[in-house]
Amino acid sequence: MSRDPLILGMLAVSLGLFTAVLLIPMFEIVANAFWYQGSPSTYWLEYVLRDPFYFPVSAWVDGRVPFLHLEITTVGSPYTIRGDTLIISGVDYGVILNTLMVAVTVTLISTAIGVTLAFFFSRYSFPGANALRTAMMVPILTTPFVGAVGLRRMISIHGTLNTIFYDYLHLLPYRVVFDGLAAVILVQSLVFYPIVMINAYATMVSIDPTMEEQAEIFGSSGFKLFRTITLPLAMPGIEAGSLLVFILSLEDLGTPIVFQGSNAEKLLTYQIFTKIFSQTGLILPEGTALAFYLLFFSMVAFFVIRKYVALKQYAMLSRGGTWRPRTRRIGAARTILVYAVSLTILFFALLPHIGVILLSVADTWGPSPIPESFSLKNFRFIVEDHLTFSSVRNSLIYSTVATLIIMVVGSGAAYVVSREGGRWSEILNYLATMPIAVPGIVVAAGLFYTYSATPLNPVINPAYLLTLAYSVRRMPFTVRSAFAGMLQTHVNLEEAAWNLGASRTRAFFNVVVPLVLPNVIGGAMLSFVYCMSEVSTSLVLGGANPAFAPITWKMADILYSLGGGQFPTAALGVLLMSLQLAAIVGSNVLLKQRVSALVGA
Amino acid sequence: MVSIRTEEITKRFGDVVALDGVSLNVREGEFFALLGPSGCGKTTLLRVIAGLERQDEGRVYFDGRDVSDLPPHERRVAMVFQNYALWPHMTVFDNVAYGLKLKGLPKEEIAEKVRWALRLVRLEGMEDRTPFQLSGGQQQRVALARALAVEPEALLLDEPLSNLDAKLRLEMRGELRKLQRELGVTAVYVTHDQEEAMSLADRIAVMNRGRILQVGTPAEIYERPANYFVADFIGQSTFIPGTVRSASGEVYEVETNLGVMRAVPSTPGSDFHPGEEVILAVRPENLRLGCGRGSNEVEVKVVHVAYLGKHLRLLGEADGIRVVAELDKDSEVGSGETVRLCADPEDVLIIRRS
Repeated sequence: MSRDPLILGMLAVSLGLFTAVLLIPMFEIVANAFWYQGSPSTYWLEYVLRDPFYFPVSAWVDGRVPFLHLEITTVGSPYTIRGDTLIISGVDYGVILNTLMVAVTVTLISTAIGVTLAFFFSRYSFPGANALRTAMMVPILTTPFVGAVGLRRMISIHGTLNTIFYDYLHLLPYRVVFDGLAAVILVQSLVFYPIVMINAYATMVSIDPTMEEQAEIFGSSGFKLFRTITLPLAMPGIEAGSLLVFILSLEDLGTPIVFQGSNAEKLLTYQIFTKIFSQTGLILPEGTALAFYLLFFSMVAFFVIRKYVALKQYAMLSRGGTWRPRTRRIGAARTILVYAVSLTILFFALLPHIGVILLSVADTWGPSPIPESFSLKNFRFIVEDHLTFSSVRNSLIYSTVATLIIMVVGSGAAYVVSREGGRWSEILNYLATMPIAVPGIVVAAGLFYTYSATPLNPVINPAYLLTLAYSVRRMPFTVRSAFAGMLQTHVNLEEAAWNLGASRTRAFFNVVVPLVLPNVIGGAMLSFVYCMSEVSTSLVLGGANPAFAPITWKMADILYSLGGGQFPTAALGVLLMSLQLAAIVGSNVLLKQRVSALVGA
Repeated sequence: MVSIRTEEITKRFGDVVALDGVSLNVREGEFFALLGPSGCGKTTLLRVIAGLERQDEGRVYFDGRDVSDLPPHERRVAMVFQNYALWPHMTVFDNVAYGLKLKGLPKEEIAEKVRWALRLVRLEGMEDRTPFQLSGGQQQRVALARALAVEPEALLLDEPLSNLDAKLRLEMRGELRKLQRELGVTAVYVTHDQEEAMSLADRIAVMNRGRILQVGTPAEIYERPANYFVADFIGQSTFIPGTVRSASGEVYEVETNLGVMRAVPSTPGSDFHPGEEVILAVRPENLRLGCGRGSNEVEVKVVHVAYLGKHLRLLGEADGIRVVAELDKDSEVGSGETVRLCADPEDVLIIRRS
């Protein structure tokens, strides 16, 4: 490791921030989970596993047969029929298994959809392919929280879908209502599939076409070619996308909050959330044990991404030669099939967006496909209601400051990782991407616990902790983007400056910064919007003092505290979506590349 | 083993004409090289033969059988790509066995053929390795074994040695030629390296801008280039522009800035008429210091003399024309001197300008 003051300074600042805002809070949570009555113990971890509410599994060894017997007590059935209504809510296997089951199911559905679409767009050429591909990525413009608000209205008993398909078209034998865990799975799958699609697509278009041509010469084609060559070669990208979806599903708090009331609240994030009493700064020990389990599942997925997936960078083997993207023109019948599949998915994927937009401009909305009357009163409410307006302003301030921290620390971290070898650089490399894998609710609980007896106590003013939490949680977007820029900026360019007498610091600011600035700004714009739409830390820390609360806390607050709260909530959601759209477009223009590099794992 | 014939093949990529009416005959069991600079269309022609690209016009025949509409695998050819195209998720065994499995052969037969193919390329015992665990040369051999294992009727090779270092490339050339001879398989070999084409091929087709400019044995191509491009692309020459003055039998008198020179047509039977603008080409080894009766003489200012072991390479200049000559290593010449170089009329070739 270099002893240069620039490198040491960057290393110290970034390690300091990650330690204070990520590692210590995580350690506090884990330590508390392993603490009982003043000494180390697994009491709370076992306590949680003994409570059928969390883990209704009983295991015993039968004396006569030397096998472990397992029995899971489940509640409810996958669906129930009440009158003319089919309610799909999913079976309750207890909080821990529910969380894993939801995450696995969402991952499988997102992967199936994402890989199918990626295959269409990377291997077939047909009229309108590019436009369709862009449209299929639209769902990424929303977070599950905002999406859930919109989708809940669309799929409710008298929602748009039932009104059209049951009341008007009589295409359905029942009114279909998704509720509870099933609704969570639906929302998350619709919002997350583009992550797999983008990653799989990026890998599929980077597969050297000769790999498939060689197989074709031997007579391989169609599904056989896909199964034996294309799919295995695309696996690193698909796995990275899928595992990222798994982590995002695990940590989603917004959707269970929106669909609470049936069994949607029987998920780890929601349960941890309810164990934190933000007004007093108290966290039930049971909550820390649950947070430990959530963190454990998430970290396992993270380490699999880092270790297993990184080892299989197949693209590296290819050498020499040039290739054109390998797409095959398809006939009318297959084009129709591709459109039918894509548009069906897109129809459902856009329901949350349509729902939230309609809600935001609705005056009243009864049992009809669209609101009976329209109005801008929900947007007026944002401006006129003092606390709501200040929540938007707070979010803008926290996110702007956090983004500035992200730009400085993130660029520094990316510089150190890209230019320096050694143990500290490797540690920083891990830390800079780790926030992806630490569920927000764990960070929030940890921060609360760690800093409640300090001047940073969120009950006094959550602004500082919120800003720090945002900056660390959304750092990976900028670090990844800046790192890509650093790799493209050959070290020779800096060496040439050193050679002419510039110090390392001077060369960094004169040569490196101007060259990677577009990457840093591009990444920072994404970091900014994800700060704005951050849910878990905002709810936990922001809830400690509503006067300083950010926008997402206000959305959750309005959603359940006012009559017809979904309308202004949706207006706030539309505001967030617009910001997200502007930032993604802006970032793409700056980086002149697909969103893939930034949202991919 | 098949003979391969292409007939008036044209292939366009958008506005770019990659192949412009290419007709070609490759004889059964022949080692045939497609030689030309980057972008000349040689790889596209190979891919059309393989069935990986569909030509816009023209036909492809194997043994007189029209295969133009057949998919790649029904043509019974095997290809070795420039980047080897080894599947990184499969072991060496699985890579080589892939084509055999698709043929539906029984397991024992597959294993036997894989062993046979790996023995051919001297990679026995490497079956369980993955491509990542192999050196560049070994990867190249696996790619070759995979192609040979299916016992193709023609072997298509797209610059297969270009990613190897110089020493290994020389070694592999020898092995490749030996294998091809032993198996008697028809081989079409794409390269931009003239030395590689000359040392490997029975016959060479020189290509440029989507057209075939000359087909011949290495000696024919070198000694009797059909046009300026071939003479310039293959080996080195001194080029002297001039105008035909008269002819007596096969020998022409050509007026040049360096004086009147006596020369013969590059391709026998070519006819030139007085007043026609031509280029004279002389290979370096055909220029010498001692002039005999009736030979052409040129006064050359020596710019640089390089010692190359067996001989000296002289780079000189004569009235703005760059002169390259290979002289006996004992020749006493030095930079800055002026020397008289001579060439016999039969070594001075007349080439058409266009």
